[in-house]
Amino acid sequence: MMNWGNDAMTEWLRWTAPAAVVISVTAPAYAVQYLTVGEAQKLAFPSASFTEVEPGRVWKASTGGIFVFDHVIGKHLYIDYAVSIDSGGRIHRVDILQYRESYGGEVRSPSWLAQFVGKADANQLKVGGDIRNISGATLSSLHVTEGVKKIVAAYGHLR
Amino acid sequence: MDTCDRIRRAQPWLGTFVEITAAGAARPEMEKAVELAFAAVTRVHRLMSFHDPASDVSRLNREAGTQAVVVHAWTYQVLEMALELHRRSAGAFDIAVAPVLQNLGMLPGNENDRRRISAEADASSAIELLSGHRVRFRQRGLTIDLGGIAKGFAVDRATEVLRDCGVARGLVNAGGDLAAFGAEPEAISIRDPRDPCSVLCQVELSDAALASSGRRFNPLQSLDTMDSAIIDPITQKPVRESAGATVVAPSCMIADALTKVVMIAGDGAADLLGRHKASALLISRSGEIRVTPDWHHAGSRAA
Repeated sequence: MMNWGNDAMTEWLRWTAPAAVVISVTAPAYAVQYLTVGEAQKLAFPSASFTEVEPGRVWKASTGGIFVFDHVIGKHLYIDYAVSIDSGGRIHRVDILQYRESYGGEVRSPSWLAQFVGKADANQLKVGGDIRNISGATLSSLHVTEGVKKIVAAYGHLR
Repeated sequence: MDTCDRIRRAQPWLGTFVEITAAGAARPEMEKAVELAFAAVTRVHRLMSFHDPASDVSRLNREAGTQAVVVHAWTYQVLEMALELHRRSAGAFDIAVAPVLQNLGMLPGNENDRRRISAEADASSAIELLSGHRVRFRQRGLTIDLGGIAKGFAVDRATEVLRDCGVARGLVNAGGDLAAFGAEPEAISIRDPRDPCSVLCQVELSDAALASSGRRFNPLQSLDTMDSAIIDPITQKPVRESAGATVVAPSCMIADALTKVVMIAGDGAADLLGRHKASALLISRSGEIRVTPDWHHAGSRAA
C-alpha cells in the first residue's frame, strides 16, 4: 500500500453493517421483465410483419431480416434475449427480454421458472420485493455474447 | 420510480449488461431517448473494446508504437483522464497493465507476444497525447486496455443523452457502474464482494454516479467470484488485500477509475478522492470495512 499523507481530515472510518441486517437481505430471487417478444420485434423491425419460421423461436420480418428469441441458463441466472439480423446477415440489435437471478441454485427447476409465467403483463415483475439497482462485482455477459454468435452462424443465411 | 410512467431496457455491451431506465416524460420521447442512449453506449463499446480489431484501442495497440494514430474525440477524452489519474495516483491507475492481464489469461493475447511483451512499471508515462486527437506510444509493444474506465464513460454519455432528450429521471447501470439523475433519489444495493448472495448496504443516489470493483462474477457459471482483474502496477500482481471498493462521484468515469485506485492504494487514495469530490467504501480481504468521512453524505445506510 502507498501512503500519500493522512491528515485528520482524510482519515478513513471503520464502518459496520449490523450482522442481523446483512443476513436478512440475502436475496432469494430477482427478476426483471424488460420486453415481451412482440415489443422486442417492434423495436427491431418497427414497420414489419412477422412470419414464424421455427415456433416460438425464429421469425422472418416482412421488411427483410430475421428475429431470433433465445435464452441462456446457468446455475444461478436465466436470461431471455433476442437477436435481430439485418438483411445483410449482420447483427442488427440484441435486447435482453427477461433477466432472472437466483442464489438458491434452482434456476433449472421448472417450478422455480413457473413462478414467473403469466406475470409478464406489466413492464416489470417483482419477486421478493422491489426491483433493485445493484452494484458490486461486475456481471459477465459472456454467455449471451456466445449465444449471439451461435445464432448469427445458425440463422444468418435465412434473411 | 413509478412503474407505469417509466421504461427500462437492457442490452449486452462492454462485457456486461447495460440497463437504461427513463421516467417522467411522454412514452414515445422516452423510447427514443433510450434508443439514443444505447447508441452512445454502442459507440463507446466500438471505440474502446480491447477485443474488436477495428476499435481505437486495437488500432493504438497495433500502430501507435510506430506512428501517431488519430482517435475519436471520446477516446482522446478518456485517455486524457486516464493519464491524469495515472500521474495523480502515483501510478496506481494504469491503463497499460494489459500485458499482465494477458499473461494471467484474463485478456486474449498471442502466445508469442506473451513472452515478448512484458509490462513495465509506469508504462502509461510512455503514452503521448498530441494535437488533433493524435496519440503516440514512445514504447514499442505498449498495450493499453480501457476496461477500467470505459464503462463509466459510457454511463456518462448515456446519461447525458437522456438529459438532453428531456427525460426527467433516469438511471444507467453498466454492470454495477451507474449514474442516476432526477428529483427522487434512487436506492442502490451494494453487493458484498465476499458473498454475492448478500447486500452489504444501500446508497441513496441523487444526481451522482457510483461504481464498484471487486472480482468479476458470472452467475451463469457459479457463485464463485473470479480472481481480481485489478492489477497493482507496482507489484504486477492481482490486488490481494482489498476484496472490493465502491466510489460515489459526480461522474461515472471518475467513480469507475477511482475504484481501482482505492483497491490498490487503500487509505492513500484519500487525497485523490477529495480532489474529485468522491467518497468511498473499501472492504479488505479480512472483512474490515472502512469509509471516507463524507461517505454518509452520499446517503449510505445499512440495507
